[in-house]
Amino acid sequence: MTPAPPLDKLVPEYVRRFEAYIPSKPDPELMKLYGCARVFRLNNNENALGPPPAAQEIIHRFPPPRAAVYPSGDAFYLRHKLAEQFGLHPDQVLVGNGANEVITFVIKTFCAEGDNIITADKTFAVYEWVATFSGFEARLVPLKDFGFDDEEMLARIDARTKILFVCNPNNPTGSYWSEERLRRFLDRVGGRQIVVVDEAYAEFVEKPDYPDGIRLLREYPNLVVFRTFSKMYGLAGLRIGYLVGDLDVVNMIRRTCVVYSVNGPAQEAALAAIGDDEHIARTRDMVRQGKAFLMRELARLSLPCVCGEGNYIMVKLPMNDNLAYRKLMTQGVMVRTMTGFRFPNYMRITIAKMEAMEALIEGLSKIID
Amino acid sequence: MDKTPAVSLQVPARATFVPLVNTFVKNASLAFGLGEPEALALTLATEEIFVYLSQSAAPGCTVDISCASGGYYVRTVFECATQEFNLNAFNLTSTVSLDTESGLAEMGLVLASRSVDRFQVSRAPERGLRLTLIKEKSYPEAGAKHFAELREMLRPYTTRAPNAEEIKLLVQFANQVYPAHLLPAFLHYPGKVVDMIGAGEYQAAIVVGAKGQIGGAILWHWAGQKTVECFGPYVFDTIPEIANTLLESCLGAIAKTRAVCLINRLPTPDLPQEHFEALGTLTLFNRDGAPESTTYLRHLQEDEGSMMWAHPDLEEFLRHEYRRHILPRDIVVVKNEMEARPPFSVLSTEIDRMQNQVTLRPIWTGSDAGDNLRRHINLLQQEKLANVFFEMDLGESWQTDFTPALLECGFVPRLVLPYAGKGDLVIFQLGARPA
Repeated sequence: MTPAPPLDKLVPEYVRRFEAYIPSKPDPELMKLYGCARVFRLNNNENALGPPPAAQEIIHRFPPPRAAVYPSGDAFYLRHKLAEQFGLHPDQVLVGNGANEVITFVIKTFCAEGDNIITADKTFAVYEWVATFSGFEARLVPLKDFGFDDEEMLARIDARTKILFVCNPNNPTGSYWSEERLRRFLDRVGGRQIVVVDEAYAEFVEKPDYPDGIRLLREYPNLVVFRTFSKMYGLAGLRIGYLVGDLDVVNMIRRTCVVYSVNGPAQEAALAAIGDDEHIARTRDMVRQGKAFLMRELARLSLPCVCGEGNYIMVKLPMNDNLAYRKLMTQGVMVRTMTGFRFPNYMRITIAKMEAMEALIEGLSKIID
Repeated sequence: MDKTPAVSLQVPARATFVPLVNTFVKNASLAFGLGEPEALALTLATEEIFVYLSQSAAPGCTVDISCASGGYYVRTVFECATQEFNLNAFNLTSTVSLDTESGLAEMGLVLASRSVDRFQVSRAPERGLRLTLIKEKSYPEAGAKHFAELREMLRPYTTRAPNAEEIKLLVQFANQVYPAHLLPAFLHYPGKVVDMIGAGEYQAAIVVGAKGQIGGAILWHWAGQKTVECFGPYVFDTIPEIANTLLESCLGAIAKTRAVCLINRLPTPDLPQEHFEALGTLTLFNRDGAPESTTYLRHLQEDEGSMMWAHPDLEEFLRHEYRRHILPRDIVVVKNEMEARPPFSVLSTEIDRMQNQVTLRPIWTGSDAGDNLRRHINLLQQEKLANVFFEMDLGESWQTDFTPALLECGFVPRLVLPYAGKGDLVIFQLGARPA
């Protein structure tokens, strides 16, 4: 046997220091461990209605022999369809294996040794993770009143800042910047850095002052907008998301893009899902109804909550969130604990169908007694 | 700057190189900040081990010796491809016969084990022996401080890591505000805490008022591969939310790490209990009676379950505890089926005279596991140590060998610390009533 590789010498220090994220075990394993017969998944902000019917049809009819054929390497048809919908050039769109992959593309494109990115401390963690395990500093600005703090983010910019990430609406707090606030922020950045606005939950927001980042691209060429098919369009299992931006900016990002990373069924299902307004309306109805129910029931249980935009809310518990997780798991309800988001004793709940919401409330009633 | 600098030496195990090894370890120890007496003690231990390797265990074999600073200690590591090393000498109870040649050779190892504060041994068939000796620096105890003048706390306050002088102050304040039995042994030595934090082994956060007053502090360190242990929060002011602010600062620092659990074994009345669950209690026998001390646990991530090794005699206790705390575990029951074991087991002994307690940890299993444990108990009872604990790591199947002897000797399993070792750690206590 050859000697073990000298990992301390081979692996950069910033990788050795980084702790790998361990995803949840598959549902059957968790059900076995916690002894429950079924699980309501309220932990990943998935759409309980599933994909739109046309996308379901694509998945259902996908011919198995096509699995042997490479998909379009750059999601050709999907990019054209998205460009048509948003009034863009197809090369302004880059499709990735979920929004996580396009985050990696952007950081790889703009950051070099010594550079930094700026985002919030309590937001979607992948911006911070990718920067950190790539050897770049992630400057984390504390949330203010559960929202991104624009002034403090601007104050943290220096000559080595390359990207500012804004999650709008924010996961997990549901807070959002209005169009006026986003414009003011972009004006003050003045095009010197790339501003990424992650709109993973944009399709859930019905507030009139919520900005459509894609419409702002013409005025702000340093703006890059992320969207995903994982949330509203219910295609999380197929892993597909995209970014749009100024043509020159996207042409640069394309250089770090791994082609062929998005599979064929994902591309075709996404293509079929676009523009299904009925699916969006049905999902919004479900979320509205679920939120109203939860707000009422949580108030009855005297549990404070943070309810903003998106298909999720955060609940403050009078106990350790991870103990609550374990107790709820034994009753077949899976939630997301928030200690890892730096919100200890909070949990995030995905708004789903009423049966799941009722099971959650029943479970919570038992564990806080 | 490297927080834990290290130097190394590769040398054949021959008596002619003893002076070289001695000079290397002594000078490295002094350079890393050990005082003269501690440096000499570590050098003596090194010499005895090197002589033993040269004459008995691995004559002529290449030995890798490294010295590293851990801030408050110096660590010397021996690595050598030998399977002949007699680890029995590292038991506190070890005695040797000076009438035989092998007894004389092992006398040096006994001296070596007594000259250092801690040691670790690992032995793998393909890599041989790895022996780690640790010698700590000597520090003065915390002195009195004019606490009343310094304790005034003004809003607004901030939370941040303390500098060296603030660390010394917080140690002094903690010693004034809290009784000694609520503080870990290291927290009686301000300089030691500065070095522990400086080396990165421990971390701390303080609440600081507008004029720089320290309103409270919390300290934490990695107690296992997936477990962080916190001390505090220690509160020096009357602002009600300080304890929570400090705890959340600790949680924020470790929330996105590999830590699965946060534990607190020395809770003060200021511990925000809504963040924790009570795991169980330990009895602290002392002059004032036998008060119970609760150990608190807080999961930091969703518990995805794990597999643990257990002797059949411990299975019922474990199932009860796992059910009580809703910890998803697969228990794999194992016991010795008369397969061969090495002749001698090894236990490490950590004595804390201030707390009147001792903790035994298995380092190595052997066919004498039960007898070895009994010898340790006899010796510790002669020393009049009232609180005797044994920590068993359920992630190491061989440690289950000690279970029957522990129960026979009167040890009682008191609580299970999730992931506090390679797997869950069972704390046994001698002479305690079952929970």
